[in-house]
Amino acid sequence: MPGDVKVVERPRAESSYVRAAAKGMSITMRHLLSPNKKTQQYPDEKWELAPRTRGTHRMAVHEDGRAKCVACGLCPTVCPVNCIKLVPAEDESGERYAAIYEIDEFRCIFCGYCQEVCPVEAIHLGVHYENAEYSRERWVYDLERLVEQEHDVTALWDPQDPASQ
Amino acid sequence: MAENGAKATVTLTIDGVEVTVPSGTRVIEAAEHVGVVVPRYCYHPGIPTRPAQCRMCLVEVEGRPKLEPSCTLQAADDMVVNTASDTARTARQSVIEFLLVNHPLDCPICDAAGQCMLQDYAYVTNQLESRVDEPKRIMGRDRISDDILYFADRCVICTRCVRFMRDVAEDDSLIVAQRGDKAYIDTFPGRELDNPFQGNIVDVCPVGALVHEDFVFKARSWDMDATASVCPGCPTGCNVTIDTKENQIVRVKPRHNAAVNSWWMCDYGRKHLVMTNRGVRAEVPLIRDGGGDGDDGGELRPVDWATALDWVAEKVAALGAPGGSAVVSPDASNENLFYLRTLLDRLGVADAAFRVPQGETAELPTVPTLKLRADRAANAAGAGFFGGRRADGPPDGPAGGALVVLDDELEGAGEDFGGSADFFLYLGTRLPGPARNADAVLPIATFAEMDGTFTNFENRVQRFHQALRPPGLARPGWMVLSRVLARLGDGEAVNDVRGAFERMAAQAPAFAGLTWDGIGLKGAPAAGSAAEAAGVAGPAEAGA
Ligand code: SF4
Ligand code: SF4
Ligand code: SF4
Ligand code: SF4
Ligand code: FES
Repeated sequence: MPGDVKVVERPRAESSYVRAAAKGMSITMRHLLSPNKKTQQYPDEKWELAPRTRGTHRMAVHEDGRAKCVACGLCPTVCPVNCIKLVPAEDESGERYAAIYEIDEFRCIFCGYCQEVCPVEAIHLGVHYENAEYSRERWVYDLERLVEQEHDVTALWDPQDPASQ
Repeated sequence: MAENGAKATVTLTIDGVEVTVPSGTRVIEAAEHVGVVVPRYCYHPGIPTRPAQCRMCLVEVEGRPKLEPSCTLQAADDMVVNTASDTARTARQSVIEFLLVNHPLDCPICDAAGQCMLQDYAYVTNQLESRVDEPKRIMGRDRISDDILYFADRCVICTRCVRFMRDVAEDDSLIVAQRGDKAYIDTFPGRELDNPFQGNIVDVCPVGALVHEDFVFKARSWDMDATASVCPGCPTGCNVTIDTKENQIVRVKPRHNAAVNSWWMCDYGRKHLVMTNRGVRAEVPLIRDGGGDGDDGGELRPVDWATALDWVAEKVAALGAPGGSAVVSPDASNENLFYLRTLLDRLGVADAAFRVPQGETAELPTVPTLKLRADRAANAAGAGFFGGRRADGPPDGPAGGALVVLDDELEGAGEDFGGSADFFLYLGTRLPGPARNADAVLPIATFAEMDGTFTNFENRVQRFHQALRPPGLARPGWMVLSRVLARLGDGEAVNDVRGAFERMAAQAPAFAGLTWDGIGLKGAPAAGSAAEAAGVAGPAEAGA
């Protein structure tokens, strides 16, 4: 047998759970009846996000529905985690466009550099957070999906205070 | 000493640094000696005419009231040049401001972006704003030849392209049409641009106005890796730079070498170089070791390198020196040919036939060494060094003995080619039909996938470097052959081209005295070749 075990005797008032349970219930009751409830009724109620929230991307389109991206290759170059895949090509009218444009939103760190660097204001981060998917593959957003996104686009800076002073 | 007679050199001061240059040197070139690159558009070192029309290279010369264009100004004794004075800078900035008046600034979609002299100079001159309210004139794009596009709005009318065609290629089909802000480059009315060297106008264009159709929108300049190489199209061996992206060749550009191709190369070479790496490749070693049902016959089966090399070495050792024949490719590198020769000597095979496809020739009139030659092979001279015999017609297999083929496509060979040989070894980048008769197929890398050297038409040994990863298990021929030989107790297995080259230089008289580092990026003449520099491609061992 290892050394002596010291047995501490606690008074009954301290070791009984009845007191603690009663105290807990009283807190629960107080909150239940209080008019000042904090619990948000998600998904019936949604979060209100700040305009500079950086969430999953959205691609801007021209009036005729074509993506604005000119496949310049700046966003894949600037992206610090290399999550943008781009294959440029020439369309029927000789314009440069993105034949393949994919963003792996799992890898993305939502830094916003892609939006900042884009010369034609095509790619944007979005004010958005509901991204749950049943498979990992669905996290790679292709051009079609990026174009279909409907959420607001992120304001990377405050127009009143662009330098954040 | 210099009363009237021409002095050999002049000494001047450029940006506070004194420099002595041969007399007749222009200030723009003298400045490069002190590390100052004066901005320029119309000046190109390879184009003899200097119209001094872009006014980008203006510099201040002490004692002269006005700025001088340094591309035409001859360096003179005691001249004090200031390339970065305030007046020179302001002048340059004004030129840029002028050029940008109508420039579309579509850098995001322009294939020159990142390698554009307008972009660079707009950046360094800090010309960020335009004072022009008028709309830009828009001209659009045009096809100037069947493979070159012209984006008129990006053109700075430096006329380098026109002058390359007129003064270097002596072909006056390209002109400047119209004047002033309406000026553009076009072919002379009724003429077509159809010159075997016209691709060079794309390389001389300082901006993105001229673009090869094959390259349009292919790759941004910062996505490409550049590798110094040699064109394998013909025995001239133009020095080139291979631009690759994601293990694909996307562009080939000439690399300056005054002794070979000057600043240029031919269009055939550009296309050919890209094609050499297309097509289905041999990627796995294959051997016919019976596969379990006896010693002979059986199927070719894929194996790993160690098994293949062990088996081949065993076979060669067992054969002794039965004699036989060999077919080699005149596109194989010197190192590959050298190691093959060592193996052939072991087998007692003296004859190695090589066949050189022929094509039309084309000359660049003002550069005598640059000529698209009729032989369409990179290294016929090297094949000659190693006991090769120029042959015509389809190869025929030997009756008995060993048969070794090094990367020949075996065009025209019969269906049972090599069937009667005791041992048929095929080393190749691809696997043509007749090669399937081989007892062993060893997959090797193309020239773009390895380091090595070629010997050009005047026996100049030139280095090329690995630009691509070889597919599958393919490896450089010298690497493979050195391992077969090492297993036979002959030398060591080499992993580095230096080792291969060193052994070749030690054993092959034509390469005596050469070292991999000594050859450098510009190449060096093979031993004893100076005397036959007139262009005779053939063995030069005799004198060494
Ligand atoms: S937000 Fe940042 S990490 Fe995400 S795609 Fe854009 S550049 Fe890449
Ligand atoms: S930066 Fe903009 S235009 Fe360029 S590739 Fe990205 S999304 Fe397209
Ligand atoms: S030519 Fe140069 S400056 Fe003009 S669009 Fe192309 S990269 Fe930009
Ligand atoms: S096309 Fe290029 S090389 Fe020719 S004039 Fe215009 S800018 Fe100069
Ligand atoms: S480079 Fe001297 S004027 Fe054009």
